[in-house]
Amino acid sequence: MYQPPSLLEKWSQENNELVNKCKQQEAGGGAVSQDHRQSSLRWCSSEFHKLLRKIQGIPPHVDHSQLELAVVYNTCVCFTAQSQFSEAELLLKEATERVLQVTGNNADTSDPLVLWRAGLKSAGNTALHPHVLYLLCLQWALWLAKCQLENIGELQEQMSSLCEIVCDGVGDGSPSEAKGRLSKSPLLVMEPKRLTELLQICTSIAQGAEKLNEGRSSEALSDLQAASALPATRALVAYTHLLSGSCLAHMNRPQMALQCYKKALETDSRCVCALYRSMLIYRQLGNTQAEIQALRLLHSTLMLPPATEPVLGGIQPLSPSLLLSSQSLSRLLSVPSALSVLYSLALKCVLSGRVTEGVEHYLDLLAALHSEDQHAVDAEVSVLPRMPELYLEAGTALLFTRRPADCMAFCNEVISTTLELVPEKVVLEEPEEGIGGDARGLSVEGEDKVAMLLWAAAAYLVQGHCHAHLKDWKQAVTHYTRCINLLVKVHLKNRDFQPQIPAADVNVKHGKDLCTLQRMKGLSLAWRGISFTQMDQLREALRDLQLSLQAFPDYTGAGLWCGEVLWRLGRKHEAAACWEKTWSLTTQTSVERYLILW
Amino acid sequence: MMESVLSEDLYRNPHRLSHCGKTISFNCKRAPGTNDNEGSELIFCSLSFEREGNTFLKAADGAAVISRKRLAHVDIVKCKSVTDAQKRATAPCVLVIKKSEKRSSFQYSLLTLSSSNRLEPCVEFKLPYQMKGAVYILQGPTVLWRHEGGVLYTSPQAEGVRQVPIHFSHCVVGELPLHKGQVFVLGLQKLPEESTSQTLGYFVEDGQVFDGSVILPHLYISITQCILVVAADRVDGVLKCDVVAATSNRLLVYFENGVVKDVCQLPFEQPENIQVVNTGRYGSLFAVSFCEGHVCTIWKETFQIAALWSSVTSIHVDDFLGCGTDQMLLVFKDRIIALEEFLITDLCGISFSHGQDTDAPKTSPPPSENYLLTLKALESRLQSGLTVLQELQREVTVKESVLRQSVKALTDVVSEREPVLTQHEQEGLIALWDSDDESKNEALDDKIHDIPAVSSKPRIDKLWHRTTEGRMVVGVILTTDRSAPVTNVSLSILTDAGQCSRPAVIQTQSQVFWLPAACSSPSSSSSSSFSASTFPEPPAKKSKQHNAISTNDLNACRVAVTAVTKLTPLLNSGRVKCHVMLHYIQTPDAFSFMSNQRPVVLHCGQVALDIQNNLHTELLKTPQLIADEVREDFLSLLAVLDHWVFHIDSPEYSLGDINGWIQKRVGCKKIEVSPQYLLLNSSGPSALMLLNWHQITPFQGELHVHSSQLQMFQFLDSLLAYLPESCSIQPLKGAGGKGASKMFALALEKELVSLREYASLLLCEEDEEKLKEKCFGYKETPDAGSVEGLQKCRAMCQRDLERSNMKLSPLVDVGQYRRLIQSMSKIQLNGDLAALLDIQFSPLMCCSGFHG
Repeated sequence: MYQPPSLLEKWSQENNELVNKCKQQEAGGGAVSQDHRQSSLRWCSSEFHKLLRKIQGIPPHVDHSQLELAVVYNTCVCFTAQSQFSEAELLLKEATERVLQVTGNNADTSDPLVLWRAGLKSAGNTALHPHVLYLLCLQWALWLAKCQLENIGELQEQMSSLCEIVCDGVGDGSPSEAKGRLSKSPLLVMEPKRLTELLQICTSIAQGAEKLNEGRSSEALSDLQAASALPATRALVAYTHLLSGSCLAHMNRPQMALQCYKKALETDSRCVCALYRSMLIYRQLGNTQAEIQALRLLHSTLMLPPATEPVLGGIQPLSPSLLLSSQSLSRLLSVPSALSVLYSLALKCVLSGRVTEGVEHYLDLLAALHSEDQHAVDAEVSVLPRMPELYLEAGTALLFTRRPADCMAFCNEVISTTLELVPEKVVLEEPEEGIGGDARGLSVEGEDKVAMLLWAAAAYLVQGHCHAHLKDWKQAVTHYTRCINLLVKVHLKNRDFQPQIPAADVNVKHGKDLCTLQRMKGLSLAWRGISFTQMDQLREALRDLQLSLQAFPDYTGAGLWCGEVLWRLGRKHEAAACWEKTWSLTTQTSVERYLILW
Repeated sequence: MMESVLSEDLYRNPHRLSHCGKTISFNCKRAPGTNDNEGSELIFCSLSFEREGNTFLKAADGAAVISRKRLAHVDIVKCKSVTDAQKRATAPCVLVIKKSEKRSSFQYSLLTLSSSNRLEPCVEFKLPYQMKGAVYILQGPTVLWRHEGGVLYTSPQAEGVRQVPIHFSHCVVGELPLHKGQVFVLGLQKLPEESTSQTLGYFVEDGQVFDGSVILPHLYISITQCILVVAADRVDGVLKCDVVAATSNRLLVYFENGVVKDVCQLPFEQPENIQVVNTGRYGSLFAVSFCEGHVCTIWKETFQIAALWSSVTSIHVDDFLGCGTDQMLLVFKDRIIALEEFLITDLCGISFSHGQDTDAPKTSPPPSENYLLTLKALESRLQSGLTVLQELQREVTVKESVLRQSVKALTDVVSEREPVLTQHEQEGLIALWDSDDESKNEALDDKIHDIPAVSSKPRIDKLWHRTTEGRMVVGVILTTDRSAPVTNVSLSILTDAGQCSRPAVIQTQSQVFWLPAACSSPSSSSSSSFSASTFPEPPAKKSKQHNAISTNDLNACRVAVTAVTKLTPLLNSGRVKCHVMLHYIQTPDAFSFMSNQRPVVLHCGQVALDIQNNLHTELLKTPQLIADEVREDFLSLLAVLDHWVFHIDSPEYSLGDINGWIQKRVGCKKIEVSPQYLLLNSSGPSALMLLNWHQITPFQGELHVHSSQLQMFQFLDSLLAYLPESCSIQPLKGAGGKGASKMFALALEKELVSLREYASLLLCEEDEEKLKEKCFGYKETPDAGSVEGLQKCRAMCQRDLERSNMKLSPLVDVGQYRRLIQSMSKIQLNGDLAALLDIQFSPLMCCSGFHG
């Protein structure tokens, strides 16, 4: 008589075949593209799920439980790997309930924590216990992936005993292990030991990030230091060092933090974030040379083609990135884009006097912005200053390096793009001190118009400087005059006459605009005055310089030249008074970058 | 008014079946008539579908009087279209019950509707009870029902009501699509002697009993609600069949020969019936109807849900359109003479609905698999296109940056500008801002350099011996002067001369261990190294390279030397006393491999052979004890046991706490006299094992194993299970491999430093002489005002000029130069030797590595 094979035998065989197929697909995964992996994973998970439905189609049975839990484990690993967390969680819940049924317990609860405790207790010392623990591993992974760290904390006790049993049980040569290896236990997609190791370090990292976020740096530091000794991939070990560094930086220990970042880079050379954080530390320490060096390295590292993840002996289906998705962590691990790094580098070089270098970087940046495809640039532009500002900064840097012709070309570019858009009349509201919040008179377009005007004016100003640099005083006067003509288009209005639209952040911006405007007025007038002085038109010079001092009294250059003109006009007492007054002024104001040079 | 409402009610929800493309409804009704013998009447109405009008039209109707008795109550139990075994044709059957007034007996009759639209009685039987639960009208026609744990049936052939002779705890009733032996009952029978139950099948026609697990695995019997046999075949008397079963836990399961092939989660509870719909070339559907009017259809091929409906009064499968394939008729609102609301569909293009203006069939994503496949294909094409694009873009950016750099270099060349290369670009490195100052080491270095060589004898602190398994270990602990390190240390054993004229040397194997200084407690020591020679730091060695396990850590100048020898020659010679001699070379220079210094021999003392002096008793008893005895035991054990060193390297996955893992093994104890060693004594003294794990980085380390070979292999086997998969284990030949390369590095460094020093010494001496001469010649600066002063100044200037010219191409003394060359060649010889040693070790490392 024909005897069909027993269900258990058949299903075990099916499970093992599936696992082997999965492993083969993953092992061959080195060359295979990401989407192929995804589709094979999808296939695996649907096959496992089908098998599981078959197994769970009959009432829970002691003989089948071990296989059933193994298949639940496999299915859940596949689901989790595809970020189908709710499906996986549901399966786990059902599995635990069925374990309870098999062992003759009943827990009428929907609270997963209570359910797990009951499940673990009922599995007790039976053969099912390790399998229930494996499932708990997955629950752990799910909680971690969903950033529910408090649940993990709740089951801390169970988790640590889990780690001991799962990890330390391996390879200790005990008789139970030998028996386990021989017996035909169902195969698993991912070794529970590896999973536990992954979970341990990922939990430490996630918790560390969370604590760091909450300001408990020292607590986080000790945990992370301990975690750095855990077995894990290079990238994860590097993360522990990186976060330790962040903790130390938080605790105001920049040198130790640097050591940690260095360790992170030594551990994993792909840890760009460590480089970025080191740069921030150098910036904080005021070590400009180091900062520039770090920026340069960071930029060249970011420009490298993305390194492919090294192929381990059998890729694990669960990737660390899946488990490390918390907000606070991704904030800590974020690195700006290559272009914005390049911009910071260029700016830093110029500000720290390495102008030639800075000019090169500016040119590289502009070239990259022009050459790169529009899509990538659009994403970048939001973090970079606007194009005209970049042009102005680059142009000013060029003027620093005595390339006035190039500088003028840049300024012309700015003028040609902005001048047409400059309105005939701009009303800028003067924010009153003490009353913030509602000083807002212009729409977004209006704001843009102010920016346009300021850019065009700045371009003229810089062009004027170029001509002054070439000692072409007449041309200089012309350009300064253009600048002044643009600037006087802005009408300052008292806020009382304006419609009131509250917007706090805009107020700040407006204050800045106003400051820039005044400063530019002062500078352009002063420089026209100086140019007049050079052409011996002392009267005009005196008028301009005095106007300049009115508009922007902090500019010492205007005061000094004013004294000079007065002296030349023979008004020596006034001259002396003017000089005295100028010297008494302290100049600590930070001027807009393209105006700082004079 | 009352009458009309009553009759309306009567006509509602009649019993309906489908037969030959028509749908027939049955209902009971009081026979009209005002006379006394008013009885009950069974009426039927046959409807056929009219495509044009999109409605069902009456094809035939009729009535039959069931009971003439006035008070008798007549009800329809069930109706179904089944095969009549005698006529060999399907016929609509309807089972009616007549309840007598006293309710003591129930008369059932099965009527069939003949082709001439007449209701004919087929089977009539009386029961003392009313049927409850499921009643089946099966092929034959057979009526089958359950009562009080028994399964009863009747048919025209059976002649009366019969009972299945097996007592089932659960049972499933089905029909096989075969000519003979069609109706079967499956059930679980409790075996009296065992606690388990077995699946039995029973054919109603011939009473044959068979193994039910060929149809349904036994675990499924108790949960199966209804069953449909899709195909069945008898091959050599063996039944093979495909079965679909709906279970109580909302699952539709497909079995092939009793093996689960596929499952599908059902959306509703309590399945009642499964029908198969053959839609022709589109494949087949299973239509599962549920309690409370739910219907779910599932594709047979993919076993995925095709469509769902709710509030369905009845579902029928037949060829209502007469097109050759099956359709489903879903009735939503029913009256006996008309269908008010219905839907005819096969989900493959045919769809006729009536009375459902808004209710388009609520199809859940229909053949979702097909869409999914198409989507998948499109998605993967898109993905691959995107990856190609990204690769191209990446290539372009790389090329562009290369171009940009080249152009920059070119413009630099053209404009004769010095190309600006940054520090890290020159080095081709990614540099971190590493600011370590090396200045503070210099003072220390100088001090080491200037220590004068004073020779002094090493002091013998202790002499001991142990015997074990036919071997004897003799050990000596000596203290040497830090300034006069000893090299090439070994022990030899001489038999007592006694009456003989000459003492005989016994062959021995010597090993040297470095111990921590005598005064300090045995904390971290350098005893992980076993090299028999010592290398003091060369002057240029940076303090950065200091580490606790350095072989050259000469702060600890206590040395233990052991010698192992076989016991037999000693016993043969009959001597129980022997002399222990220490051989060594004392030299201030560690690199004098080829030096002419002769080895010194020192007599350490005598040992009286004591076979009772067994090894490692103390150590095994109390490894946590710190005592000389234990230390001696430990050293003897190290000398006796075979020794392997493994380099474990896991480039991508950190190793974790290996030491902790070893300590958790059974019988593992820390040895307090040398805490970095772990004693593993799991199974008796013959299987002793000493382990020392030295972690170099989180990703690599060295494992020293002292044990028998078998033990070592067993240990490595279990270690491999613990280690990451991507890790490699390579055996090193002793510790020599690493020592040799270190030695080589030190030798090269030494060579470089001495060359620099000698050369500068040569030039400096010359310079100093001249300086002296100059100082004596012109003590005071000449007065530039006078003529002589001016002359002198001029002469001085001339001399200075000459001197600086000389400096550019200096002349040196031949003798001094010779001396320099001589010493340099000596040093180079040492370097060559170290290189040779290094080469000898390194290929061994490469070849014999095995991977975990």
